[in-house]
Amino acid sequence: MLFLVVSQIINGVVTGMIYALVGVGLTLILGVLNIPNFAHGVLFAFGAYILLSVLQVVGNFWLALLIAPFGVVLLGLLLELVGVRRLYTAHHDYQLLFLFAVALILQETIILIWGPIGTSVLPPAGLQGAVNLGLTVYPKYRLAVMGITAAIVAGTWLFLTRTNVGAIVRAGIENREMVAVLGIDIQKVFALTFGLGAWLAGVAGGLASPIMGLTPSMGFDILPIAFVIVVVAGLGSVPGAILAGILTGVAQSLTTIVFPEAANVVIYLLMGLMILVRPQGLFGKR
Amino acid sequence: MRDRWIFLLIVGVLAVGPFVQREVIATEILIFAVVALANNLILGYTGMLSFGQATFFGVGAYAAGLLTIHAGLPLPVVLAAATVLATGLAVLIGAVCVQRIGLYFIMLTFAFNQMFYFIAYSWTTLTGGEDGLPGVRRPAALADDLTFYVLVALLFLACLLLMKRVVDSPWGRVFRAIRDNEARAAAVGHDVRRYKLLSFTISAAFTGFAGALYSLLYGIVPIDAIHWLRSGDIVFMTLIGGSGHFFGPIIGAAFFIWLSETVSVVWDRWPMILGVVFALVVLFLRGGVVELIRRGHGLVTARGGAATAP
Amino acid sequence: MSALLEVRDVSKSFGAVAAVAGVSLAVTEGRLHSIIGPNGAGKTTLFNCITGEVQPTAGRILYDGRDITGLPPHALPALGIARSFQRTSIFPTLTVAENVWVSAYARRETRGGPVLVPADRVEGVGETVRAALAEVGLAAHAERPAAVLAHGDQRLLDFAIALAARPRLLLLDEPTAGLSRQETQRVIAYIGTLKGRYTIVLIEHKMDVVMTLSDRVSVMYFGRLLAEGTPPEIRGDARVREAYLGKRA
Ligand SMILES: Nc1ncnc2c1ncn2[C@@H]1O[C@H](COP(=O)(O)OP(=O)(O)OP(=O)(O)O)[C@@H](O)[C@H]1O
Ligand SMILES: [Mg+2]
Repeated sequence: MLFLVVSQIINGVVTGMIYALVGVGLTLILGVLNIPNFAHGVLFAFGAYILLSVLQVVGNFWLALLIAPFGVVLLGLLLELVGVRRLYTAHHDYQLLFLFAVALILQETIILIWGPIGTSVLPPAGLQGAVNLGLTVYPKYRLAVMGITAAIVAGTWLFLTRTNVGAIVRAGIENREMVAVLGIDIQKVFALTFGLGAWLAGVAGGLASPIMGLTPSMGFDILPIAFVIVVVAGLGSVPGAILAGILTGVAQSLTTIVFPEAANVVIYLLMGLMILVRPQGLFGKR
Repeated sequence: MRDRWIFLLIVGVLAVGPFVQREVIATEILIFAVVALANNLILGYTGMLSFGQATFFGVGAYAAGLLTIHAGLPLPVVLAAATVLATGLAVLIGAVCVQRIGLYFIMLTFAFNQMFYFIAYSWTTLTGGEDGLPGVRRPAALADDLTFYVLVALLFLACLLLMKRVVDSPWGRVFRAIRDNEARAAAVGHDVRRYKLLSFTISAAFTGFAGALYSLLYGIVPIDAIHWLRSGDIVFMTLIGGSGHFFGPIIGAAFFIWLSETVSVVWDRWPMILGVVFALVVLFLRGGVVELIRRGHGLVTARGGAATAP
Repeated sequence: MSALLEVRDVSKSFGAVAAVAGVSLAVTEGRLHSIIGPNGAGKTTLFNCITGEVQPTAGRILYDGRDITGLPPHALPALGIARSFQRTSIFPTLTVAENVWVSAYARRETRGGPVLVPADRVEGVGETVRAALAEVGLAAHAERPAAVLAHGDQRLLDFAIALAARPRLLLLDEPTAGLSRQETQRVIAYIGTLKGRYTIVLIEHKMDVVMTLSDRVSVMYFGRLLAEGTPPEIRGDARVREAYLGKRA
């Protein structure tokens, strides 16, 4: 039992870190552009599928993981350019509806290109198999994912807190008008944030593909979870998104032990509870 | 006055409906017209975008299905019970969702939708899970599709009139005030959250009622009925018809069901067409078909004016 | 001499910004009390503290002897407090009459009864609406959408909305902001007619307006209360002069 619990906790943390990557991107976009990006899930899915195709060409997982997310960034920037930007003066409802429509189109595109049947990607050569952690035996690749996501999250955090551009993004979350007043081209900040969010979703999709597999609906499956993370985290909060991501992952995988049918339900209950107890979220200010 | 003409027009269309379309399709259009009209109470009139209307549609459908299958209750009781259940649920969900405004409201309704989807999906012994809940039988008197259409058409008219009354009532006016300017509505003494919850609940009641009818239409509750993509469809119907006009969503529902029926049999990937149409509407025709009619009307009258001017 | 509104040591900070710092004032029933001060002095924030739009970080607000600190905005009209906003705040797609109706309806006397009646048939509300529109001279525009009114007329509509709440205390935040000279004249003349019938707290930048209309004037400066007195006293106050002339004009 203890082994099971330990390995489920580690499992939860791994999934949770992937959720966190998706959630961080979503919360940044929400904070800066003020839109819940309904296409975020599908960007995650594209991260996985583009990785699949790139992998077939280059043959090296790590190289593919490096390249693929930039395809997602291009896609994200395209969306920002043709839709979100044009709709900036309209009500934000229309921006998110545009992104929802795009999500439908992109999900169908996945099916057209890669087919309706799910597939999977093998972990990179050196990381197949498991290691003995003493308490439990655990797949190597998943441990690696934990390390890589931690590094990416830390890198994102450093970018936001230690660079000028990052400071502008953070200022955008705090007070958008102020950024405009300071004479910064807010359009560029928007595009940059959208691009960064897309990149994070793309990387997450790529990293997740050997663990979760690839299905055309994977984007639509993760989207509501990402929303839960953002709500629990608090508007625009990066540390909040990380914590919320991990909590969500762990809650899910622990529920699997006792009541597997409820594993998918429990996170929404947690979210509801959170809203009632602390409406602004873990780290939210407003 | 104008509303009266539109109303007569609708009655006329209802009369010829089953001769233009298969009865079940015509019935489905009416059911979703109720759903879209109800969604417009919150979206168009109160300014709240809900991405979780399928929660109430699905709960209404499952409740009606289960009560019919297991309890064998008479139809009016089934419809009433399903509506009450959806309404009660809306009070609970709404009370949480209206705590936060705008974007959060959207995300919360969406997330709760997913939660109820998973409940329906996982609780297979009750709902049939992925395979749906089959075996929902209509009473013998309504077994014929045309008869059922007539019943739904009458219920549709009743819902239409009732919603029109809501919209024209003091509540409806306060809803519009909140949509226009929430802070001001509060400053003159209206408890904005309470009104939003009211609007949300009324909307859910009609949606649940329509869901109940839907389960009886095809005799099965498919799991899709409670999926959030269905909530997206509902928003789509409302917008494409025109959220700025009371009757607009009816056109949207008709267009949507017609499109899905015609295209989906030809092409599996029809959600892509849906996405494209939706994106185009959002980018270029935010007032929906009603806006198109208005523009067309403006064009015609402008031409007529120009012709008589010299 | 009883104070209808009493603000006791109210403070409000936004993060590091102390928008209002320990302000006290007492507004006598029936008087017109002005609050002046340079941009960003905290005048609007003080109003927002009174009306519940923001929660003061410290201090109490008393109205008619009752502690109203922290009450939500929607609870105030029932007590007899109405406000206008610095930026004209109306319901643009509603008609002019409907705009005023929304306020009058919130203060209707008969509650209960059937709910699904046409809005215009709610008892007693129509008279209030007509009276308020007549009072500001917008009766002729009653059926037009508020959005199409001229800016000055929208301001007057804003007042009509406040008046339809049949308040005892009116809080007016820069009613002439953004108006042309002519429109300003009209609005000022109008406020003159309100004087005496309502207790009024007026935020205003235009000095001549303040000096002619006010019974008392409070001067705010960087969140604090710099001075308070009758218009002649304020005019003669050296600190006020310095705050305004030295740093601003
Ligand atoms: N919601 C808020 N969040 C952060 N800071 C605020 C907020 N509201 C006001 N402030 C700050 O509080 C200070 C006082 O603002 P306030 O609007 O009360 O001034 P004011 O006297 O009404 O100015 P004006 O004459 O320009 O209307 C300003 O520094 C302003 O930037
Ligand atoms: Mg101000």
